[in-house]
Amino acid sequence: MQLQLQDLCKQYATKCAVNHVNVNLAPGIYGLLGANGAGKTTLMRMICGVLKPTSGRILLDGKTIEELGERYYSHLGYMPQDFGFYPDFTAREFMLYMAAVKGLDTKTAKERTEQLLHMVNLHEVANKKVKSYSGGMKQRLGIAQAELNHPSILILDEPTAGLDPKERVRFRNLISDFAKEKIVILSTHIVSDVSYIADYIFMMKNGQFLLDEPMETVTDGIKGKVWEFLADNREAAQYSRHFSVVNLHHENNLVRLRIVSDTAPAANAVTVEPSLEDLFLYHFGEDAQSERSDDDAD
Amino acid sequence: MMLIKYEFLKILRKKSTIIVMAVNLLLTAFLFGLPILQYQTYHQDGVIKGLEGIAYDKKQYEDLSVTITDEYVEKTITEYQNLFENPDHVGFDGNEKFLIGDAYWNFVAPRENLLGMIASVYDSPGETSGFNKLPELDMTDGAKFYPARNEKIESLLNTPSRDLSDEQKAYWRNLNSKVETPLQYGYHEGFKIIMSSFELLMFALLAVCIVIAPVFSGEYQAGTDAVILSGKYGKTKLVTAKIISSLLFGVLAFTLHILVAFGLPLAAFGIDGWNLPIQIAGATIPYPFTFLQATLANLGVIYLVLIAMIGLTLFLSAKMKSPYLVLIVLVPVLFLPLFLSPNGTTGAYNLTLFLLPYRSTMPEIGKYISYQIGGMVFDVFSIRAILYAALTIMMLPLARLGFQKHQVA
Repeated sequence: MQLQLQDLCKQYATKCAVNHVNVNLAPGIYGLLGANGAGKTTLMRMICGVLKPTSGRILLDGKTIEELGERYYSHLGYMPQDFGFYPDFTAREFMLYMAAVKGLDTKTAKERTEQLLHMVNLHEVANKKVKSYSGGMKQRLGIAQAELNHPSILILDEPTAGLDPKERVRFRNLISDFAKEKIVILSTHIVSDVSYIADYIFMMKNGQFLLDEPMETVTDGIKGKVWEFLADNREAAQYSRHFSVVNLHHENNLVRLRIVSDTAPAANAVTVEPSLEDLFLYHFGEDAQSERSDDDAD
Repeated sequence: MMLIKYEFLKILRKKSTIIVMAVNLLLTAFLFGLPILQYQTYHQDGVIKGLEGIAYDKKQYEDLSVTITDEYVEKTITEYQNLFENPDHVGFDGNEKFLIGDAYWNFVAPRENLLGMIASVYDSPGETSGFNKLPELDMTDGAKFYPARNEKIESLLNTPSRDLSDEQKAYWRNLNSKVETPLQYGYHEGFKIIMSSFELLMFALLAVCIVIAPVFSGEYQAGTDAVILSGKYGKTKLVTAKIISSLLFGVLAFTLHILVAFGLPLAAFGIDGWNLPIQIAGATIPYPFTFLQATLANLGVIYLVLIAMIGLTLFLSAKMKSPYLVLIVLVPVLFLPLFLSPNGTTGAYNLTLFLLPYRSTMPEIGKYISYQIGGMVFDVFSIRAILYAALTIMMLPLARLGFQKHQVA
C-alpha cells in the first residue's frame, strides 16, 4: 500500500497553508513535527478528504480520492485535533454511531466497540455520557473510534494535546499497538510524542516540508552542532539571549547549558549526541521555545 | 437504519429539544385551549361560561340540524319577519329595529349563526349587514336562497377589484358547481375554531425548525464534522440519514402538536360538523368540502409547508457555521409575513403574501384567490401544495450537497 501526496497545495486568501508537498508513504509511523500554524492540520485534513486541496493530488495505490470515493474513506481512521463529541451519547453509543458511519455491520460494530473500549480502558465507564469524561478519557475514546474500521491509514492530529505526562506515555503505547502494518501519521508539536515510536520524521514549516528523514538518521544533519558546557548565571542569561538553548540545568552555582549552534558557543563547549528535540529547536528556534513554555504552562 | 436511529437519537437526546418541545406543546395547548376557557354564551338568566356554555349551545343546535332548502329559508325568514309584527317584541336603537324579550331568546338567540349565514347571501359583495336586514327582505317570490347565493358568487367573480380572468372565473364556477345543495346545517363549533386557528401552528413549525437547525451546523460548531465526513458513509448515507431523521422528527413532533391543537377543541366541542358542508360557515365558499375535508386539505398544505421549511432549515444548516445563524435567517422568513397584511386578492404583492409560510397556514377558503399560469388556473390550496412540494424537492438535495461539499477549516 502506498499513499502519495503529489504537489499538494492549500492556498487561503493571503496565506499558503500547504505549499507544494510531495511525499510517498508506505506502512510505518510518520511523525509530523512543526510549530503551531506550520500547516500540519491543513495537510492532515486534506489527506482525510475533508478539505479540498487548491492543487495537487492524493493517491492511494495510484488512484485519487475522487476515483476511490467511499473505498478511500473505508481505509481511513482519523482523530482530528480538539474534535467534539456528542455530549448526550454514552461512549458505547458514540462508538456504535461511528461504526455505522464507517459502514460496519451491526455484529462487527458491537464486537469492535467492546474490544476497543477494553483496549483504551473505557469499558467500565462505557455507559456513561461523554460529557462526564475527562480530557484524557475523551482522547482515548477519540483514538478508539479512529481504530473501529481497522484502518490502513491512521491519521492522528495532536492526539496528546492537553494530556498529562502519564496519559501521554499511555497514549504513545496505544498508538504503537495500533500501528502495525499501517500508515500512521502522527502530527504534534511535542517532540517526545514521536521520538520513541516514529519510523520517519517530517518537519513542517510555513506549509513546506523542511525535512523528511528516517528516525535513525534524522539528527545526522546537526551532528557536531549540539553543545554542552557550564557557565555562571550571568553568562547563562547572555547565552540564552543569543543562542537556541535546548536545556538549562543548574549544578551548584553553575548552569549546564545545551545549545544548538553551527559554531561552538563557548571555548569550553563540547559537542554531544543530538536528539530530536535539538533538531526541532534547530529548525524552529524561538517558535518552538515559546510553544514549549506554553505547554509547560498547560 | 442504524444511522437513522442514531441521528434521530442525536436530535431527541438534546436538552434543548426537550425544552423547546415541552414549552411549545404547552403554548399550543394554551392557544387552542383559550377558546374553551374563554367560551361564553348568553341566555335569559345571564351568561354561561366554559364547558357549561358549550353544552348549552350544543343543545340549542339540536333543533337546527336541518337541510337548508329554499322552503326552509323562506319559512325561517317569514317566521322572523312575523315576529316583528308584534310591537312588544321589537326594540329600536334609533337606527334599526331588532327583536327583544322572548322573541329574541326563543327565536334569534339559538339561530344567530344560521340567520347570519342566510342573510349574508342577500348582501352585496363586501357588505356585511347581518340578520337585521332580513325583516326588510321582499319575500313575495319566495326566499330564492340558492339563486341569491349564485348571484352573489357571480357578483364576487365580476368585482373589478378582483381582476379575475375568464379562465379563473370558469375555474371557480366549475368548482362551485360541485357544491352539493341544499346544504345541511348543524353544530360545527369545534371545526370552526380549528379552521380559524390554523396560523397558531406556526409556533409548532418554528419549534421544529429550532430543533432541526443544528443537524448540520451543529456538527461544524462542535467540531465533529471532520470525524464524520472522513467516515466511509460520511458524505453519502449519513447525509441521507440526517435528512430522513430530521423529516421523521419534524413530522412526528408536528403531529404531536396537531393532536394537542385539534384534540382540545374537538374534545370540548365534539366532532360534530365533520360531515357538514363548509358553506354553512360562509355561504359563498366555492370549495365543495365538508369541514373535515377542508381541515384535512389545509392540514395537508401545512404539512407540505412544514416539510419544505425543514428542507430550508437543513439547507441553511448545511451552509452556515452555527445553528444561531440558521435561525437568524429562518425566523424572519417564517414570521415577517405576520406583520404584512394583504390589501386585496390580486396583484403580485397580495398573491406573493398568500404563498408565504405564515399565510400559507391560513385556509383563505372564501377569498377566491387563484393563480393563473398560461391557461392553467390553480386555487390557493393547489398552488401552495405545488410550491412547497417544489421547494422541498429543491432544498433537500441542496442541503445534501451543502454538507457533502463542506470544507473542514
